[in-house]
Amino acid sequence: MRRLGWLPFLLVVAACSENSTSPGVCPNFCPGGSISIQDTVFGAIISRDSSFRGYFQSDHATLMTAADSPGVIDSRPFFTMQTMITRIAPKAGDTTTVPIIVDSVRLRLTIPHRDKEATNLRLKLFQLPVAVDSTSDFASLDPYFTASPVDSVNISNLLALPKTTDSAIISFWKDSIRVDTAGNVLQIQADSSLLLSLKLDTLQAPLSDTDSGRVAYGLRVAADSFASLRVTTSELSGSGPQLHWYYHYTIPDTVSTKPDSVVNADRIVSTRFDNFVFDPPSAALDSNLTVGGVPSARSFLRVTMPAFLHDSLDIVRATLVLVPVNAVQGVPSDSFALEGRNVTTDIGAKSPPGSTASLIATSFVHIGSADTVRLEVTNLVRAWSLDTTLVTTILLRQLIPIPGFPAANWPEAASYTQARFYSSRAPAFRPSLRVTYVHRFQFGKP
Amino acid sequence: MKTAALICLALLAAGHLAAQDSQFGIKGLGTPGKWESVRARTTGGAFAPFDPFSPLTDASLADARRMSASIAGGTSWRTLEPTGGAQASLRGTRFPALVIAGPVTRRIVVGGGFATYLDRTFGIRLQDTIDLRGVQEPITDEITSDGAVSDLRLAAAARLHNRIALGLGFHLLTGSTRVVATRTFADSTNYRTSTVRDEVAYSGKGGSASLLLDVTRDLRLAGWVRSDTRLRADLGGREVANSELPLTYGAGVLWRAGTQASLAGTVMWRNWAAASTGGSADSTVHDTFNWSVGAEIGSLGTPIRFGVRGGQLPFGIGKTPSEVGYSAGLGRQFSGGRGRLDIGLERLERKGTGLNERVWTFLVGLTVRP
Repeated sequence: MRRLGWLPFLLVVAACSENSTSPGVCPNFCPGGSISIQDTVFGAIISRDSSFRGYFQSDHATLMTAADSPGVIDSRPFFTMQTMITRIAPKAGDTTTVPIIVDSVRLRLTIPHRDKEATNLRLKLFQLPVAVDSTSDFASLDPYFTASPVDSVNISNLLALPKTTDSAIISFWKDSIRVDTAGNVLQIQADSSLLLSLKLDTLQAPLSDTDSGRVAYGLRVAADSFASLRVTTSELSGSGPQLHWYYHYTIPDTVSTKPDSVVNADRIVSTRFDNFVFDPPSAALDSNLTVGGVPSARSFLRVTMPAFLHDSLDIVRATLVLVPVNAVQGVPSDSFALEGRNVTTDIGAKSPPGSTASLIATSFVHIGSADTVRLEVTNLVRAWSLDTTLVTTILLRQLIPIPGFPAANWPEAASYTQARFYSSRAPAFRPSLRVTYVHRFQFGKP
Repeated sequence: MKTAALICLALLAAGHLAAQDSQFGIKGLGTPGKWESVRARTTGGAFAPFDPFSPLTDASLADARRMSASIAGGTSWRTLEPTGGAQASLRGTRFPALVIAGPVTRRIVVGGGFATYLDRTFGIRLQDTIDLRGVQEPITDEITSDGAVSDLRLAAAARLHNRIALGLGFHLLTGSTRVVATRTFADSTNYRTSTVRDEVAYSGKGGSASLLLDVTRDLRLAGWVRSDTRLRADLGGREVANSELPLTYGAGVLWRAGTQASLAGTVMWRNWAAASTGGSADSTVHDTFNWSVGAEIGSLGTPIRFGVRGGQLPFGIGKTPSEVGYSAGLGRQFSGGRGRLDIGLERLERKGTGLNERVWTFLVGLTVRP
């Protein structure tokens, strides 16, 4: 019997490697039923669709858009910096202070997005009154933006320069950099965003006692064509514009005959307020569905799910089809994401957006294209199909992509762009839901 | 006993209560099970009517003079050769029969157990390209069924005379199949996989009667008949199919050629066609006739067995599918005759319109008499 001891183990191994599936030879050696699929466009199930504006202001956004397309859009970011010290106590415990003398200033801007097709892309810096705030609009700031710029940098030229190989410079910047003759520095980060450091002198960045060391600047972009870029704001975890003051002061020596000693120091000042203004302003809401613009607009689409979509079938694809009223105007690189997600309860304009990542759908809307926009909402419609307690409303909003950041961090109200789609009030072009579903397999029949 | 325990463990690990599946059963009700112990199966099934541990006949229980239990298991390697299609190899481990029997009086033995009535385990995979939203979309469908219609038997056998034993049995057809239909799309970005799962429950009843007649001391005859009600298939409590089941009848002969050799032969008919179609012509359901011849040689403690079987399968398009099988095996008693281990090897060849099937099956059976 001992010689047969391996038999049970053979059986166990065989049992573990069950394989009963083979290529089907149909119809002769296949079950009676088959998996059938159907594709249907549901037009009338979307109704009571509406748009609301005012969710986010442009100064809430994590990006500021600078764009200049004559006759189409002129978008101008601006920012004011925090206060800067003008005097300093030379030694700890001193009650007297000495003035600081500014040597140079560097303005650091993070540019996560630019039109890579743009040639001769230039960024111009304008001095603005330090009192600019959220009430400042395009018209009130226009005189300052049309004055002579305090500085200008050609980004295209900087990008074309070879990286510096000077080890001392690399040691200071912690990276290989590109530097132009004016001392402006450009770094390309791992996520392809640009870190631009403009070198300013004391005339371009005056340290004013009256203004407590505060300065304010505006940005305009120019290029041969496709003039557009975006700058991060202080809302993006400290990634807003920064002013790096390099200064020195003298410690007076009143006791010995030793000459006064000079101390070199520096201080980084962050943004106090940042925003952007643009012209023409976002169009007013009408009977169409609007998303985007400033303040940001959102649209809500109420879906009445047919009863048969709740049972006896399995939804494999669902697409929300939106027909644009017209092509979105702007610079081609300012294409944006259109997001569709559920709401946890439908209370009109203040309906809270759902937070389940798997139920969020995103599609891109391209500037200048009047193509139908298709949003793949399969997971959302499947969820509605399985759970009849869910609110069958889709919230549409605009998101501006930030390279290197997940879609959950993309901001609203960060661009002048705005999309308008036909609503259910336009029967020929109304939003529709295209659903592809598999009928329930007829099991049990020979 | 340690070996016996190991084998029990192995059989339980195998898990499936099913016989031997075949592609020929997919289109119909399933693949009919073989109501045979490993001992009977290694003789081509010829000894089944005379073997108390084969669920084929009830009268044979009369030979179980002590409380006994027997279980059978087998692992199959199946090769499919569809005409014009690619060859495929399948594996499966099955647990086709259990019989427990013991005398209640000197002349009456009661037994029971289970066997596979119809095996419903299969899986097919289909690849196609369909037009979806104006785009040619490659898809893969997979339809699988795992389970069987089981035959729970309660039977009694009485020795009416020294030479005559009569058996009667009541059969409860039960069991279920877990069924899954899956469609996957090559464009998995836009299309989600569709999976539908369900469980089909089967129910039915049946009765059987059989007779053993010892014509001489060395010659025994057997005859049996079995009738079942309709087989009901339920899905979530709702009837989805109700199929007639066939009348089964057969006969066998056993000749003991001395103390160290026995020969047997059986024939069996089942009228699947008349039952399933109510008399109308259906080219996919066929009546079947099966035969077998086998021998057992050697001492009671260490016999060698072999046999051959032939016959037909009930489901298949066109010509009735045929089956030919060859089997051999050996047995060994242990623990002073309180246990017996049977092993065997079976080769089956099935031929039908559009498909040939070849099967190797390794069989293990254990009988214990506590």
